[in-house]
Amino acid sequence: MRELAGTPDEWAHLVEHRPDARTYAELRRDEHVGIWLICWMNDHDTGYHDHDLSSGAVAVTAGAVREERLVLGGAPAARTVAAGDSFTFGAGDIHRVSHAGAEPAVTIHAYSPPLWRMGSYEVLPTGELRRWSLSYAEELRPIGA
Amino acid sequence: MDVPATDVHQHLWPEGLLQLLARRTVAPRLRREDRDWILELAGEPPAVLDLAAHDPAERARRAAADGLDRIVVAPSTPLGIEALPVREAQPLLDAFHAGVLELGAPYALWGSVPLAACGPAEVDALLDAGAAGLCLPAEALGGPEALRRTAPVLERLAERDAPLLVHPGCAAGDTALPAWWPAMTEYVATMQAAWLAWAEWGRAAHPGLKVVWAMLAGGAPLQAERLGARGGPAAAVHDERSWYDVSSYGPKAVDAMLRVVGVDRLVLGSDRPVVEPPSLATLGPAVREAVTRTNPAALLGSPRGLTP
Repeated sequence: MRELAGTPDEWAHLVEHRPDARTYAELRRDEHVGIWLICWMNDHDTGYHDHDLSSGAVAVTAGAVREERLVLGGAPAARTVAAGDSFTFGAGDIHRVSHAGAEPAVTIHAYSPPLWRMGSYEVLPTGELRRWSLSYAEELRPIGA
Repeated sequence: MDVPATDVHQHLWPEGLLQLLARRTVAPRLRREDRDWILELAGEPPAVLDLAAHDPAERARRAAADGLDRIVVAPSTPLGIEALPVREAQPLLDAFHAGVLELGAPYALWGSVPLAACGPAEVDALLDAGAAGLCLPAEALGGPEALRRTAPVLERLAERDAPLLVHPGCAAGDTALPAWWPAMTEYVATMQAAWLAWAEWGRAAHPGLKVVWAMLAGGAPLQAERLGARGGPAAAVHDERSWYDVSSYGPKAVDAMLRVVGVDRLVLGSDRPVVEPPSLATLGPAVREAVTRTNPAALLGSPRGLTP
């Protein structure tokens, strides 16, 4: 994935920033890994989610994104990851990723095995957490993208 | 929405085709029995034909009620028309093509050719008349020899960037068996054989051809681990010029398929009126959007009859 992040010739033509939503392109897919290009701007935000059985890694190639891990009863564990850096998550981790800073961001995501189903978390006004089971299409092939 | 919601696989027998089938004395044919029309096919038990199921106005109404804008009508290859001598097959196929094309929107057409005489000229004639692509029975792609015979047709389709629908063909079944038997045995086996032949030989010979496999190719991609374990071309599940229609399958099989080939490869094919399509609502709105709009648009492009 880092190698792919370092060879923009392979994906630069797919970079497209839209003010209303992230854009997505699948770069590679095989039995073991699915690799996606995601373009961010305007504080685009995934909301809290998990990746069911897939672990993953994210390389930032332009701009910056902020990752927050859900912490019960406290502020999320947050970090901002800028161009040239990367972060990883396990299949069991619950996180949200959002665009950070003024410059549009470009990230490359590797999911292994390829992303299939996800959990999306809704925080109710009472503080209760509600999990919605989703196809990966909701995240990577959303309506209108 | 500027991308039409499309059902890539229905069957509709226009009036002209019904009339010609009723004039035949051997299968495939329609025969009057009291007030019913009986459909006689070579490999399947005689069955009462519900003429109302082939009413284009009613079908269009149902599609609209399901939020669909376009219906691509496929030839009923299980009738076995394609395998008849050309002089018998051609008038039946001509009546099918003319009848569907005359209907206009929301209908579009998968063309069909007599297997005994199909070449580039026949493909050109169909596409020039307005067909969205060509439909072939699975047997026509079922092995290296079959692929060699079909090669000129496939080459011309690829040259014109028109898609191919692979549909189960005519069952050579036992009429004492239940009606569902061919659909669960020969249809599955022949679709799997065609998909495997495509993985082994067809794709290399026709790298650009867009192919949509009816009925999830009989579930062939779900066998990919076994295919790989036996030394076969398991990477074929990631072929970016193949699509799979979900006909007769529900959310469990479609979800399993989605995991193997990805959501981008799946298209809605309902197989109406043969079956009532199971709901895929549990897979979510993004899957529905991909399966009904985005993916059919990638498969079909914008041939005549498909632009709203």
